[in-house]
Amino acid sequence: MARFPSMDEKGSVLYLSRLHLEDLSLDHLTDSKRQQIQQLHLNYNRFSFFPPSVCFLSNLEYLDISNNALTVIPDDIMRLTNLKTFVAKNNLLNEFSFPKEFERMQIETLNLSGNRFEDIPMQFLKMTTLQSLSLGGNRLKNIPAEIEKLTSLEMLYLGGNLISSIPPEVADLTSLRYLVLCDNRIQSIPPQLNKLHSLLSLSLHNNLLTFLPREILSLVHLQELSLRGNPLVVRFIKDMTYDPPSLMELAGRIVKSQNLPFSSCDLPSNLIHYLNLASECPNPKCAGVYFDSCVRHIKFVDFCGKYRLPLMHYLCSPQCSSPCSSNPQSDAESEEENSVPADRLQRVLLG
Amino acid sequence: MEHTELVKPESLEDLIQTLHKIFESDRVNVEEVQSIMESYESKPHEWMKYAKFDQYRYTRNLVNEGNGKFNLMILCWGEGHGSSIHDHTDSHCFLKLLQGQLKETLFDWPDRRLQGGMTQKSQRVLLENQCAYINDSIGLHRVENVSHTETAVSLHLYSPPFQTCRTFDQRTGHHNTVRMTFWSKFGERTPYESTVSQENN
Repeated sequence: MARFPSMDEKGSVLYLSRLHLEDLSLDHLTDSKRQQIQQLHLNYNRFSFFPPSVCFLSNLEYLDISNNALTVIPDDIMRLTNLKTFVAKNNLLNEFSFPKEFERMQIETLNLSGNRFEDIPMQFLKMTTLQSLSLGGNRLKNIPAEIEKLTSLEMLYLGGNLISSIPPEVADLTSLRYLVLCDNRIQSIPPQLNKLHSLLSLSLHNNLLTFLPREILSLVHLQELSLRGNPLVVRFIKDMTYDPPSLMELAGRIVKSQNLPFSSCDLPSNLIHYLNLASECPNPKCAGVYFDSCVRHIKFVDFCGKYRLPLMHYLCSPQCSSPCSSNPQSDAESEEENSVPADRLQRVLLG
Repeated sequence: MEHTELVKPESLEDLIQTLHKIFESDRVNVEEVQSIMESYESKPHEWMKYAKFDQYRYTRNLVNEGNGKFNLMILCWGEGHGSSIHDHTDSHCFLKLLQGQLKETLFDWPDRRLQGGMTQKSQRVLLENQCAYINDSIGLHRVENVSHTETAVSLHLYSPPFQTCRTFDQRTGHHNTVRMTFWSKFGERTPYESTVSQENN
């Protein structure tokens, strides 16, 4: 029982939601009327296929066809050269549903939450005009490294999937302001994420995080950080798996920390290569280095005098102290930590 | 105490008028308020002007100041947005769903002796038009929009009004006092009201 379509006074927005539509004919519209339509709302209908007549609205900029039963988006959608926003939440779409050439569309906002994607299709990863991408509530198992190609991306919503790790390439999305990864299976955050200088909000609640990388402190513009529903460690736990350094490592440490000169006349090339791999201990008071043998140290840092977050970094040995504390004795068992200045992180959403 | 006739409010304006009458007296009849709020059938065109969303967190939008007896406000929750565990500063709190759904998780006040942090007491999903009630003697709660596809809008009544509350760290039970701010008042965006809102923790 269809009601009459409703349109705004200018004739540019057409509301056809909740009309039990299975198909759509716009034949009764003149060409000029068709070209006037810039926004089309077709959500909450009964479309099991994408209505072909939509593809002839040449000036369409906004299309919402959410809450239908679409399985395929036809090639003809490429005719909508002005389409900027495409919303198709709660359909039956997956990574095989889209045309091969879809990447040529100049879409800025793509919302496909509540569908059946198991992978992010290649076409999406080539859409350099994309500013906002939502694939929340799908079945994504991972984030491909090619995500870094979406250089205009400001909003990435991937909450409610099956993602277990974040590739460091996410950190190359330097325009990113809002990153949502809640309700996934993420066990660790790559330290490179501190390159996301524009990030204002990071949503990580309901994952499998036990600690965070210390580098997260350098996200100075971050206003929102949600961490509830993660098994974050509350007490300092001594890392039981510290492997004592090898003789080669001990020798290498002495060469580097004592600044002993060496050249290709003194050492075979493989050892010179090894010596050049030395990492500096992050403790500014320690001039030491480490190669393979390091200790994973978890330090509790107070954010804004409110919550204590476990942050993780590597140290050259269990006896070395963390750069987060000025008092070496205050390490390990004590929970008397230094505060990160309040202007560093303003709102921390925790347990 | 005069007994107010329980007539179903026909509009949001009607609901507000009825609430003003009910709150003229100093005693709050919780069942009466809850019933009145629940019987108002949400009509988006009546409250749309107050429903201003923020991309990054939920917003609080003041609708009416209830002659100083109560605050009526509309909260807008984007996908995945949730609140901290918080108390209600000795006030009554009524929460009615205008659109979408919200998950409410109840907690007991933290016990200093318990080392394991705060464990949830119960959980429920509030559906459109349902109205929940809580106060400090019942316990603490966290409210979340757990949907990744739908936004949620809720109508809250707090009596007496309050500007600060306590937020709790679930892992440790430690609490913090925070000041609550409004994203908009009476349909107008109020960006310079105060510094950073700390309630959403």
